[in-house]
Amino acid sequence: MNKILVFDFRLLILAMSMATILFASAPAHAMSGRQVYEKVHEVRIKSLNRQTEFAMTLFDKGGGTRSRAAVEYCRKTGPEAYKVLVVFKTPPDLKDVGFLVHARTFTDRDLWAYFPEFKRIRRIPTNSQDDSFFGSDFSYDDFGGPPNLDEYSFTILREEVQDGRPCYVVEVTPKVRRKWNRYVAWVAKDLFIHLKIEYFKDQEPYRAGTFTDVRIVDDIPTPFKMRMENVKTGHKTELTIESLRYHTSFPDELFTQRSLERAGK
Amino acid sequence: MNYSQSKSPFGIILVLALLSGAMALPVQAADSVAIAGRLKLSGEYGLDRQSVEDGPSLSARLMLDGRQAAWQIHTWVEGGWDGTVDEQQQDQTTIKRFDKVYQANTPYLDFKEFYVDQELTGIDCRIGVQRFAWGRLDEYPINDLFNPWDYRQFIVKPMEERKIGVPAVAIGTSRQDWTYQLVWVPWFVPYRLPEPGNRWSMTPTITAGPDSRAMEVQPREPDLPTRTVENSSIGFRIQQLGEIEWAFNLFHGFDPRPVFKTTALTVAESRTGLVIDPGYVPSFQRITAVGLDAATVLGSFSLRTEAAYTINRAFNVRQEFWGYPAVPALGTTSLNSIVIESATLDYGIAADYQPLEDILLTIQAQQTLILDRPDSLFERAIETLLWANLKTDWLNQKIETSLNLAYNPEHGANMTKAGISYVFTDSWKADINALLLHGPPQSIFGRYAMNDQIGLEVIYQW
Repeated sequence: MNKILVFDFRLLILAMSMATILFASAPAHAMSGRQVYEKVHEVRIKSLNRQTEFAMTLFDKGGGTRSRAAVEYCRKTGPEAYKVLVVFKTPPDLKDVGFLVHARTFTDRDLWAYFPEFKRIRRIPTNSQDDSFFGSDFSYDDFGGPPNLDEYSFTILREEVQDGRPCYVVEVTPKVRRKWNRYVAWVAKDLFIHLKIEYFKDQEPYRAGTFTDVRIVDDIPTPFKMRMENVKTGHKTELTIESLRYHTSFPDELFTQRSLERAGK
Repeated sequence: MNYSQSKSPFGIILVLALLSGAMALPVQAADSVAIAGRLKLSGEYGLDRQSVEDGPSLSARLMLDGRQAAWQIHTWVEGGWDGTVDEQQQDQTTIKRFDKVYQANTPYLDFKEFYVDQELTGIDCRIGVQRFAWGRLDEYPINDLFNPWDYRQFIVKPMEERKIGVPAVAIGTSRQDWTYQLVWVPWFVPYRLPEPGNRWSMTPTITAGPDSRAMEVQPREPDLPTRTVENSSIGFRIQQLGEIEWAFNLFHGFDPRPVFKTTALTVAESRTGLVIDPGYVPSFQRITAVGLDAATVLGSFSLRTEAAYTINRAFNVRQEFWGYPAVPALGTTSLNSIVIESATLDYGIAADYQPLEDILLTIQAQQTLILDRPDSLFERAIETLLWANLKTDWLNQKIETSLNLAYNPEHGANMTKAGISYVFTDSWKADINALLLHGPPQSIFGRYAMNDQIGLEVIYQW
């Protein structure tokens, strides 16, 4: 009987020691990784009624650059549904080239492109969430996290300060097939937006980006400067927001093929 | 060139009318005015020494858009020096006309588009010189019938540059997933053809005269259909968006495809030698076309298809049946009737596939069924055109390569176009391209079989 009691006592000490070690190595966070990304999605959904003018510079490995400037109109049409019209203003060969997106959810969207010289609207497949954001090094995930949270697992690795802001450093791993195996994102604890992101493909760094010049516009936090590099190719994109308005209420007619042909005018 | 010059002031009246419309839009007070332009220097080197050589061309494009509230004015003007014009055949006018088939202007000024647009209560009304793009296929869209083509440098020019703007009234509206467009082209505008002897001429060339004197071949400008409501063209398109986007097209008007009718071969003496009227003029045929087109996305493929049933389409019989004598004699020789009419069924399908971000592959197959084909026709009862285009961007889109292949299996005719462009800056770009054509003389590509060439273009855009 005593033997049993002695054994139980030792077991209890062992369990307590292990628990102490575990707690010490995995600090308690106020939120889980999944909850962090639920908040990221909330911010994304809040920002869906907007007008943005942006400029993009694409850098190749040899230092060559190409520039684009465009205006984007966005309208929220459902819980995760939205419509977007993007019209390029420069360079000259892209002027008035437009893209129209009708998204039923963050994962399911239709895309059309319009080329004014040809006067033709062309439907474009968008079955991949890894599609580039209008020819840049950005993908849609970079701005608002993965599309369907149930298809990803989230682990908070640590907390860290990035650009003077405390961040959750979250590892995001897809359960579905993506171009990458995982990414690590620095999510601002007070704003729930990405400040830094690093993608890995076959355990090798694949893409890396930063989101800076964060401003609060109409109560919505927004990075005005974004930079993304394809580590494999050395190709980089810098995206700068030149003007931004939230809480817009564009009519549905702005997001039609006729409007696409008229460059949104 | 001494073609019969039409004295119709139609072109001038149209320009003045549109300019008046433009003046009505107070540009100074416009919400926005945008100007864009392009300068292009181009030249070709013919690989076949027997082919006709073209000189270099310099062209400028100016596009101006002014908007105020619901009003918009849009102008697309092109002009410059056309190196394909033979100095001996040069026209005296500068502005490209809307009432002539043979136009050899250099320098030239061409109003590709010039219209005023107003949108009121969801109805969009556009009046002026316009280009349309109905249907879904590339290169030879079946339902795209409003704009005739300029066949000068046919095949070399991209389709959007071949299209001639037509004066038209277009009314369009959208209701949820439905879009409706009604187009009326009140006056007939003919296609433009290169003169016989031009590098891209598509008609038989008379090479031998009755004697060894110098010959000048002067085709006759055709009489155009009178400008009446009965001779206007009209079309209606209704389109629905959805998983499968589809559209119904109805067109009633003049066929934009070139067909000729014979008059009489005339050989006359002049001070410098012989003047030959080859005895054929363009014939303008009214057709009715009922068509459908559709597009959808299937996995990684974007699929496009269209079809049209056309009543009253005209064809020319094989050139050996035109009745040309082996050696033309002085005087007038009557020629045979060369036009036959048949209903046709055209259909085609195309797929775009983007295996990688910078690669786009397009493949397209289309067929024409000639439903009442006589044996005298060069075209078979089924004519097929297979077409593929591979476009690749390299080095941050600094370099663009394209390979374009077309094949007409019924006649073994084919075309290979390959090009490489280098983008120096966002404004400057240079392009080298090669064009190879092969096939029997009357086939779609074989008629230009001597025109294999290497081309160079330098483009500045702003």
